[in-house]
Amino acid sequence: MLSLTWLRGLTARRRGRLAAAACGVAIAVALLASIGSFLSASKATMTARAAADVAVDWQVQAQPGADPTIVLDTVKAAPGVTAAAPVGFAATSGLQATTGGSTQSTGPGVVLGLPDGYRNTFPEELRDLAGAGTGVLLAQQTAANLHASPGDTITVGRAGLSAVAVHVDGDVDLPQADSLFQAVGAPVGAQPQAPPDNVVLLPAAQWHALFDPLAQNRPELAHTQIHARLAHHLPADPSAAYSQVSGQARNLEVKLAGAGTVGDNLAATLGAARADALYAQILFLFLGLPGAVLAGLLTAAVAGAGVDRRRKEQALLRARGATGSQLTRLGGIEAAAVGAIGATVGLAAALALGKAMFGTFGFGATTVAAAGWAAGSAAVGFLIAAATIAVPAWRDARGVTVIAGRRSVGRAGPPRWASYGLDLLLLGAGALIFWLTGRGGYKLVLAPEGVPTISVSYWAFAGPALLWTGAGLFAWRIADLILGRGRPIMRRVLRPVAGPLAGTVASSMSRQRRILANALVLVALTTAFAASTAVFNATYRQQADIDARLTNGADVTVTQSPGTNVGAAGGAVLAKVPGVRSVEPIQHRFAYVGADLQDLYGVRADTIVGATKLQDAYFQGGTARQLIATLASRPDSILVSAETVKDFQLHPGDQVTLRLQDGRTKQFTDVAFHYAGIAKEFPTAPRDSFLVANADYLTKMTGSDAVGAFLLDTGGSSPAAVAGRVRSVVGAQAQVTDLTTSRRVVGSSLTAVDLAGLTRLELGFALVLAAASTGLVLALGIAERRRTFAIASALGAKARQLGGFVWAEALFITGGGLAAGALGGWVLSHMLVKVLTGVFDPPPAALAVPWAYLAAVGGTAIAAVSIAALGAIRATQRPATALVRDP
Amino acid sequence: MTASENGRVLVRCDGVARTFGSGFGAVVAVHDITCEILAAQQVAITGPSGSGKSTLLHLLAGLDEPTAGSVSWPALGDRDALRPGPVGVVFQGPSLLPPLDVLENVALPLLLGGTSEAAATAAAAAALDRLHLSALATKLPEELSGGQAQRVAVARVLAGRPRLILADEPTGQLDHAAGALIVDALIRSATDLGAALVLTTHDPLVAARLNSGWVMADGGFVTPRDPRERGLTCSA
Ligand SMILES: Nc1ncnc2c1ncn2[C@@H]1O[C@H](COP(=O)(O)OP(=O)(O)OP(=O)(O)O)[C@@H](O)[C@H]1O
Ligand SMILES: [Mg+2]
Repeated sequence: MLSLTWLRGLTARRRGRLAAAACGVAIAVALLASIGSFLSASKATMTARAAADVAVDWQVQAQPGADPTIVLDTVKAAPGVTAAAPVGFAATSGLQATTGGSTQSTGPGVVLGLPDGYRNTFPEELRDLAGAGTGVLLAQQTAANLHASPGDTITVGRAGLSAVAVHVDGDVDLPQADSLFQAVGAPVGAQPQAPPDNVVLLPAAQWHALFDPLAQNRPELAHTQIHARLAHHLPADPSAAYSQVSGQARNLEVKLAGAGTVGDNLAATLGAARADALYAQILFLFLGLPGAVLAGLLTAAVAGAGVDRRRKEQALLRARGATGSQLTRLGGIEAAAVGAIGATVGLAAALALGKAMFGTFGFGATTVAAAGWAAGSAAVGFLIAAATIAVPAWRDARGVTVIAGRRSVGRAGPPRWASYGLDLLLLGAGALIFWLTGRGGYKLVLAPEGVPTISVSYWAFAGPALLWTGAGLFAWRIADLILGRGRPIMRRVLRPVAGPLAGTVASSMSRQRRILANALVLVALTTAFAASTAVFNATYRQQADIDARLTNGADVTVTQSPGTNVGAAGGAVLAKVPGVRSVEPIQHRFAYVGADLQDLYGVRADTIVGATKLQDAYFQGGTARQLIATLASRPDSILVSAETVKDFQLHPGDQVTLRLQDGRTKQFTDVAFHYAGIAKEFPTAPRDSFLVANADYLTKMTGSDAVGAFLLDTGGSSPAAVAGRVRSVVGAQAQVTDLTTSRRVVGSSLTAVDLAGLTRLELGFALVLAAASTGLVLALGIAERRRTFAIASALGAKARQLGGFVWAEALFITGGGLAAGALGGWVLSHMLVKVLTGVFDPPPAALAVPWAYLAAVGGTAIAAVSIAALGAIRATQRPATALVRDP
Repeated sequence: MTASENGRVLVRCDGVARTFGSGFGAVVAVHDITCEILAAQQVAITGPSGSGKSTLLHLLAGLDEPTAGSVSWPALGDRDALRPGPVGVVFQGPSLLPPLDVLENVALPLLLGGTSEAAATAAAAAALDRLHLSALATKLPEELSGGQAQRVAVARVLAGRPRLILADEPTGQLDHAAGALIVDALIRSATDLGAALVLTTHDPLVAARLNSGWVMADGGFVTPRDPRERGLTCSA
């Protein structure tokens, strides 16, 4: 029963060593398990949000000649469908309205026929703006084009038939127009079709009365879609949910046997969420995995600090006749004990963290995921214990002789990897792969549209991973070099710390350079990990902020309702609201660029840059300041989208003629501009093409200074609070939005899920790792050399002199490690942000550096080392005769 | 006791006892020890294993504090000033610092005492030379045999030119020839330096080479220390 005796001995006499190793394992397990639970929770949120965002899950288009009622019945009978309604789509040749003595007419448009109860079944599809929510409804833009309000009458043109007059009951907004008017069954990869400019919605009976005759004559101009809602009992993982939903859709198409084609909005949204989920997974790999590796290295360092002692114990056991396999078994027992304790503590910590951060006990959204994550993390814990304790014991049991087992410091030559230059190879390979993936634009997630599988370019991982590893080994080489060849320099550097003992301290450190270099590398890798994770997260937050600011325009934005005519002077009222520091008016018009209707923004050239914090990254062809200065010096300048530049082959200075509505005559007239640069993003502007011009010029040319939106700077006061006050001033005539709210709403589901949880987890773990890799490792290293210090003390070394030895080591490990880590972190941050470009929206112009957190990491490391060093000095101060006498 | 007599007393123990632990498991390592060590005196302490020799030596060196009675060093100064300085100790077990080579190990106490690096290195080299150990100067402790390591430990003590040498079984791990070499070196050096030498041993042949012998058993002296013997020893 050697094993049991051994285990009892270990727990009694080497409790510190066991606990420290188990601590390392526990950190790894807790990190993996809690990141796993975050990942699986966020995937579930992504699925839920994606499903909730879709107004109509399926739009099943009845094919020409097919009977819509049969299609409707088939859809209703399909598994998973909870509601279905037929919607008529008909083309109108044009709309006309005579209001206030003038007549407005529009080009072609679409007339929808909605059955009773449609709005209850699909509440997200329509939003009321004015008038009654039922009857004849006009889309917002159409109402603006026609100057028609509820109560007015408009005429609807029908190809080949007489136009009919209808009485407008209300205005609505169609938030999901893109999917509502999609070309169902369009070939994969086809350009999405722009929604129609003019839309009228009619009750189904009225629609049939008006357009059934049209359908008879011109079947291509009228058709019926069945809109369906599905039960959202979806798998938590977006990928699985996507497969399930698209499978159901295909199944329905087979049942329809050509009578209908399914426009699968739900699957399309889930497809996007699936890509986001994959990104979350990649983030987990990029940011979480190094943490686990570090925890493993930490365990190795802790176990390594006990290696001398273990070898001596082994040599003793051997001398007393223990066989190699017995020794190996003892190592295995120790590893199993460490693994078991570490895994248990780690899982418990992860549970507690999960409870604190996500409000649930559990590792995943589903039981299977929970069991998987718990088991996987625990397995990694056991693996680390085996690799750091059992494997070295086994190697020693095989290879180390009784004599060699007694050695503690050596004159060993360079390790094999160093003589082969592995570090330099890794660095070179990392840089090469980084460059190669960079040429492809860092496309990490490859999700060809319509293809059910989605793949990740794992090559991109290789760059940073190789760099990290290579940099760690390179730091080892440098540390080894400094301690070896650089001993004379060390001696000089150490003089202030160690006085006349500097040479002795330098020699002592030089002979222990392997251990010291290992410790330094651990600190460096931890620092690099913490720094790059923090910079990545801060940059992500910065970009999300910019995104929200772009979407909302400013801290608080007051958007005028269509049709109202508030001039720039209207801002004076807003400027008086408490908390408002400045008011920036922005004109918003629509302009025809050729046949394409685009948003046009008129800005005050002298104030817009400062007021809206315009970023250089929004523009091309000059900085924000330069381009806006051009608008000021040449008022007829215009900034257009890159797409427009391509479509019209524009060169700077080229004339661009837009058709703009004149404020006085309400007629569209030609206005000449000169192309000055490209605007990719602009506050409040949509993501597709838009134009930016000088407001004064627009006012002059269109005879109207109507402002589209006022951008309010709150100068630090809470945007939500200021928005509330503004709302009470402007009333219902304008829409007031604030940055805080839109930050929550903006963007893809990944942004919505928010990296906050992951960030806090990782940054917390990085701090723990920083403390452990500095303080714990130093303390253990010194504890293992207690006898050396006891002898020095017995020889008469004073606390100050012993301190020289301790502080020199501490300084070397921490100072060198932090410096190397900062450098590595800097390079790695740039690489990470580049490789993960796809996560950022918009792409960052510069990295955000969270100085406070980085200072906290440095401070933690320094504090941990100081505590460890002071403790060690205190412990070695009194000559421990027991240690001196016990060899 | 006259002042001049006091000037010759290096260590004085007065009813000294040292107990390890407390209560039921307490071990009384030494008790009721009263003795003096005079300048240039040479004492061999013998006694069975566990009789308290090492404990007494540590008390004499000021490495340990008595639990009863008092230890003083009238001619050497405060307890704090003993090491490095007037007292040199050769420990029973291996006592070289593993990360320092032989020369650095020998020079260490001098450096700790504030000697300049050059002077310390020179003194260390001279001490090694005197013990014919110069060839080992650049070796690491792990590369030495037990006997070599013990001789280096002796050299380390001699380099500091102490006035009191305390050697705890310096021959414990060695064969007779090697042991004799070390005892020779210790006695010769002590004589050269005019230092007192206290040495514990199990070897009667070694004990016989010193001019006085104290015998310990169960933490006390077997023969009461007769003050008159002091004079006898001194005159010898
Ligand atoms: N640090 C300690 N804690 C507890 N007991 C101790 C300690 N040091 C010594 N002892 C006990 O004190 C007694 C005397 O020990 P000491 O080492 O002085 O004997 P010794 O005569 O030097 O023996 P040896 O000839 O084997 O070296 C022993 O019983 C020993 O177990
Ligand atoms: Mg002893």
